[in-house]
Amino acid sequence: MNDKKSAIKTGFTEALPLAVAIAAYGLSYGVLATQANISLMGAVAMSLLVFSGSVQMVTVAMLTAGANLTSILFTSVLLNLRNLLYGAALAEGLAPAKKWRWLLSFGVSDEPFVLGSSRFKQYGPDPLYFGIVVGTFYMAWAFSSFIGALIGNQVDPQQWGLDLAFPVTFVALLIPGLQEKPVIATALTAAGLAIGLECVMPGNEFTIIITGVLSPLVGLYVKRRSQDAE
Amino acid sequence: MLNNWILIGLLAVSTYVSRIIGVEIMAGRKMSPILRLYFQYVPVGIISALIIKQIFIPTDGQLAVSFPVLIGCLSTAITIQIIKMFLPSVVIGVMIGLLARYM
Repeated sequence: MNDKKSAIKTGFTEALPLAVAIAAYGLSYGVLATQANISLMGAVAMSLLVFSGSVQMVTVAMLTAGANLTSILFTSVLLNLRNLLYGAALAEGLAPAKKWRWLLSFGVSDEPFVLGSSRFKQYGPDPLYFGIVVGTFYMAWAFSSFIGALIGNQVDPQQWGLDLAFPVTFVALLIPGLQEKPVIATALTAAGLAIGLECVMPGNEFTIIITGVLSPLVGLYVKRRSQDAE
Repeated sequence: MLNNWILIGLLAVSTYVSRIIGVEIMAGRKMSPILRLYFQYVPVGIISALIIKQIFIPTDGQLAVSFPVLIGCLSTAITIQIIKMFLPSVVIGVMIGLLARYM
């Protein structure tokens, strides 16, 4: 019983600081979703059903740019590839949950992976802890999306510069991650490739997908070279 | 609007499927470290491309640079490097971009 109490308490305490950061993203997502002509209900429903910051942010950006359903879906599949890694890494720690694994799997994404995997490494499998973490994030994400969409519905986007919020938000998401050479190489290649593709075919549908598939290869090449040099 | 709901439904299903495949099927299998790294770099590539698409806007069949967006992005990049806080960096970038638009 005490173990359960402690798992709940630790899960909540450790999730809280990240939940605040998630709420900040959620707020931005909600505002941006209204720019993509998604209704308040649609914006919140997406948060409740998809529950993925990267997929949702990219979706609203692509919708705003006029992308079609197929290219959005394909891009989201690309983004979701990393869930395979997270799920595989978390599986052992979630195993005691038995049939509840189906529900807990819904929470497999960036931040729960970070907290979950470090907890499992230290204390062994702990589905309850993972559930508390995911539940806290889920509430922060859903509620902040709702508030963001509410704000976005009330203001004139051009006047408040909400159209600028898109690229600026993505810059704020990207920059802190640019620490290692391979990641920087991926970003620079993606930028160059995207400019090239847009120059050849301005406003085309495939820039994002082609860039998303090809640019990581340069990151891999740089990683390999730096490993060979060691 | 109906299209948006179909999109939300499809995204919900495809995202959940990627999660459950990881937990139920990929578990216990060794994944190549190269594939692992590739998956981690994909979001960086996609986000970079999205930023570029917002800075370079097609106008009359040619690309034009949107300076308010470019200036806003650079301001956010510098701000987040210094203060390391997400929301304030976004707000500062938007404000400087707006200033650039109306100057």
